Amino acid sequence: MSELARVLDAFSEAYGCGAVLWMQAAGSDPLEVAATSGGDVTAPSRTELAEAEQEIRSRETALGRQLFARIPGRTRAWLGVGPVADDDAHARRWMRVLVPVLSQMLQSQWEARRATDELAERYEEINLLYSISEILGRTVTLEEAARTILMEVAETVGAEYGALLVNDAVSGLLRPVTALRVKGAPAPLPIPIDEPVSVTARVFRTRRALLVNAGVLESECEATFRQGAMLSVPIVWTTPDGGIPLGVVSLSGRRGGLGFTAGDEKLVAAVGSQIGTAIQNARLVRASIDQERLASEMRLAHDLQMRLLPPASVVTPEAMCAARVEAADGVGGDFYNLFRLGNGRTGILVGDVSSHGYRAALIMALVMSASAIHAQTTADPAETVQALLATLEEELRETEMFLSLCYAVVDREAGTLRWTNSGHPHAFVIGADGIAVRLEATDPPLGLGPEALHAASRPWSPADDLLVIFTDGVSDARDSRGTALGERRVLDVLRARRKEVPSRIVDGVFALVEGHMGRNRPHDDQAVVVLRSS
Amino acid sequence: MSLQVSKHGDVVVIEVDGQLIVGNRQELKQRVLDEAEAGARKVLVDFANAGYIDSSGLGVLVSLAKRMRELGGDLRLANLNDDLQTLFELTKLDSLFQIADTRERALESF
Repeated sequence: MSELARVLDAFSEAYGCGAVLWMQAAGSDPLEVAATSGGDVTAPSRTELAEAEQEIRSRETALGRQLFARIPGRTRAWLGVGPVADDDAHARRWMRVLVPVLSQMLQSQWEARRATDELAERYEEINLLYSISEILGRTVTLEEAARTILMEVAETVGAEYGALLVNDAVSGLLRPVTALRVKGAPAPLPIPIDEPVSVTARVFRTRRALLVNAGVLESECEATFRQGAMLSVPIVWTTPDGGIPLGVVSLSGRRGGLGFTAGDEKLVAAVGSQIGTAIQNARLVRASIDQERLASEMRLAHDLQMRLLPPASVVTPEAMCAARVEAADGVGGDFYNLFRLGNGRTGILVGDVSSHGYRAALIMALVMSASAIHAQTTADPAETVQALLATLEEELRETEMFLSLCYAVVDREAGTLRWTNSGHPHAFVIGADGIAVRLEATDPPLGLGPEALHAASRPWSPADDLLVIFTDGVSDARDSRGTALGERRVLDVLRARRKEVPSRIVDGVFALVEGHMGRNRPHDDQAVVVLRSS
Repeated sequence: MSLQVSKHGDVVVIEVDGQLIVGNRQELKQRVLDEAEAGARKVLVDFANAGYIDSSGLGVLVSLAKRMRELGGDLRLANLNDDLQTLFELTKLDSLFQIADTRERALESF
């Protein structure tokens, strides 16, 4: 008010009397807001002020004659001057000059104050956006993001209660993620999207903000976070194709008993898409973490599965062996096992469960442990696999799975190879002449065929013969056009490398497979085992 | 994969067009079981237009053959291409099915 006081002082100096400016807030008595330093003007009554609405009024006081007049404008204000001479015409002329000046000054002050208020309001909005942006930039859970957002928004608009609910598309419910509950109220329950009375459900359906007064559309669903008027705003995730409604933020219990304003609605609606982005961000973070956890578990499972496979060196000194398994899905259904059976005999088992992934890996683990026992307690390959089938039978029936399996026993002392082959197509002996002789299947795959298994025998030349068993993931490996590698090309490599050490032969096969697939990912597990007597 | 179903006397012929693999095996399974439910006891699966059967597809065929036998019926195969014929032979699955090289011969065999 210092500017006003200076104007009044100038008036006082020019005219030689005091001057006072009163202002009145709604329902209150007028308050002196500026006065000349030597002012002798007493405050008029409310009635006298009311009489001065239209024209300059005068009154007699102990201090002399005084004039007062209403100052036009948005602010309720009056100017009083005195003492003036009984003939106050001169003073009235001065007042008619002064009142418009003061009116203009008060108008300017009002506009400046309004601008300040708006700035403060914008500051709150900016602050809210900043808080939400901060949430966007952090790795937070959905619950944490929702709780922070709800508290920030409620604080900004002065709401005591509220809830942030997100859409569960599967169940058709709006599920509360966080809430500022009415004292003593239980946790809010999900609200059906088609609930007819609920303001929250209605806002989600219409995707339009809604501001309702106390007593309007009051629903039991919202009783835990509503008291009086309620403001509900849709939360939308903005996408290039438009917006996807994610949920609703509902606020209630505005402090001071006041209702929400259109400004509150505008503010919360304005940040609705920011809230949507924050929630979507939190969801994506969660999905990413889940995916990473799953990938980590798959890696762990793969490592565990690989640890079940024995090192090829377990069959030394009777044999030289190399083996490699590549699982298509982290964990797979291809496997091998190797046994030293005594008296110069070596057992080689290669299997392919009819699928891949976790279920196949479980069957594989079962075969690995059971075969280790049965190989040592039975004499003939058919007997070994028969015992294995007895162990697996129930599991295979329950899971509707089956497996191809070839179990060969090399007896270098006797010069024989005896095998049982349950539907495994790719088992060969490659002799010194490079001819690959298939170890024919003796039975259908385990789990599909009859229960009595068979075995077959052939001569084995410890000096020259190479035993090779691989799975169909190798010969069925596809290039970018979907063309299968084919068994013949695998055999070509095996024949060409037959005199190399087993590890180089296996490397050669996988080099062929990888070269054929290029950037294609394998659609099936791949296993190769190569063994020769030493 | 698509399935064409026709009746030849008391034999239901299901012609498989495309690949019989893990993603569509249930479709064939359900179709055969539906026919069995409706009273069919003789089913012929014709692979004249099928290029590939993966291990899951093989499993379904064996499972359906078992089911038909339990019902007192039979499921037979026809028109396996060379690759499929070889696959059935190499895996000894040919011992579990009666396989004919043409549809006509398969129908005559029932």
